[in-house]
Amino acid sequence: MSYFRATDPFPLESADHTKLHTFYARLAEGRLVTTRCSTCGATAWPPRGFCGECASDAFEWVDLAREGTIHAFTVQDTGLPAGFDGPRVFAIVKVDGLRVFATVTGTDPATIRIGQRVRLAPIRVSDDPKGNPRYLPSFTVDRA
Amino acid sequence: MRNVALVGAGVSKFGVRKASYRDLIWEAGKACFDSLPVVKPKDVEGLVVGSVMPERTAFQSHISSMAAEALGIRPSALSARTEHMCASGTVGIRYAYAFIAAGLADLIMVLGVEKLNQPSGDEAILNMGTGVDREWEAAFGLTAPPCFALAAQRHMAAYGTTDEQLALVGVKNHTHASKNPNAHFNKGATLDQVLGSRMISSPLRLFMCSPITDGAAAVIVASEERARDLTDRPVWIRGSGQALDGFQLTSLHEDYAHWPAMKRAAESAYRAAGVGPTDVDVAEVHDCFSIAELIAYEELGFCAKGEAGPFVAAGRSDYGGDVVVNPRGGLIGCGHPLGATGVAQAAEIWAQLRGDAGARQVPDATIGLTHNNSGMGEHIVMIYGNEPT
Repeated sequence: MSYFRATDPFPLESADHTKLHTFYARLAEGRLVTTRCSTCGATAWPPRGFCGECASDAFEWVDLAREGTIHAFTVQDTGLPAGFDGPRVFAIVKVDGLRVFATVTGTDPATIRIGQRVRLAPIRVSDDPKGNPRYLPSFTVDRA
Repeated sequence: MRNVALVGAGVSKFGVRKASYRDLIWEAGKACFDSLPVVKPKDVEGLVVGSVMPERTAFQSHISSMAAEALGIRPSALSARTEHMCASGTVGIRYAYAFIAAGLADLIMVLGVEKLNQPSGDEAILNMGTGVDREWEAAFGLTAPPCFALAAQRHMAAYGTTDEQLALVGVKNHTHASKNPNAHFNKGATLDQVLGSRMISSPLRLFMCSPITDGAAAVIVASEERARDLTDRPVWIRGSGQALDGFQLTSLHEDYAHWPAMKRAAESAYRAAGVGPTDVDVAEVHDCFSIAELIAYEELGFCAKGEAGPFVAAGRSDYGGDVVVNPRGGLIGCGHPLGATGVAQAAEIWAQLRGDAGARQVPDATIGLTHNNSGMGEHIVMIYGNEPT
């Protein structure tokens, strides 16, 4: 038997696997959405199926802006997990007052600055075991 | 509450070990029982094992029972595993402390063990991603270094902390580790070596980071009556505090150079112990990255907010200074076998407060502190003394 890895680090995004599947379906359309508690109105990041403020499990999806600003970032050159290459830019992006963790892609890492405006640019990662496409949020710097 | 003490301790060799998960358990268990020959495995009433990811690294769960059998312990009062990422070991010590303080047991071993190195190095790092949020962080390739890099960048921007000050933590802890035969690294390091080491995640360089390490450690925890019966030099648990701010990066304090949960955990522990920061002679703090040790000086009250860089540069956290921080070499010098780290910290304080630390001995140490975290927002502080509270 060969040495093998039985799982990968990407979420199982389809409706078979998560009640948050709408997030990924919208992301595939280029939209960034999150949950708003239907009971108390609290908007969360990341999306959640249980409200930590009022303990309700009723929620609705709301669109977020497709643009934000870089609140903090770091560039990792080495020591990345299997399947990930450096240099890799990890950022906290402020979107509609929420802090969103994502990568910054399609941009020279040396040019990234705190406060810079970035635009949603979802990336496709490997398909799930049933062949469904999977996406993750990422941001890119707009060319002026 | 009853008084509770450490009465025995032992640590395996830390490193990239040609050893199985069980070999490491045997090594730490042997070293611990050797430290207290009057106690045999059959005398131990309980076992708590701190271990984070043996399911991935050793294809093994059911850890406490496996370790108990490996060591000949037949638990009659407590058998449990604790998993709290990098703080699993200290969480285990707190369980033993609470059980004994409450009168539910009199003699418990706490063992921490981790076999992190794998045939594939980048798989070992991939496994570390299980410690952050899989769906919202690890899926992006996030592991610990970039998280702490955000704190380092913010500390530098807000307080003028320099690359050299970050490096001096690495120099100090590698130098301390050179006097610890159980440390992962024994060669020491110069400032030029640390500043010249390769960049991991800006501004953190290799010698400012803890490595991927295998190892185990064990302590024996006892009630006052049993402790006084077993040894004339028990090391007393005087206080303990734990606090959490958040798990995901996006739910922590917006200023990543502020770790308020650590301050709250320290305040709880100091209050329980009846001591303050200036009373601490020796501290084992969680320097998973050099920035973490700098922020620890501030949140533990060893210096004011923003003054950690000058504090380390003036030698105030080294022998001859205000408080000796990480005499065993810290996580940077000893390595960080997750579940073992908190227990190894306690083992060092046990040796220091008994005056048994040899070349690493902090003169006249009577109050010791351990700090173990599992992310920037999750902290535990323990305070030990050579007299009970």
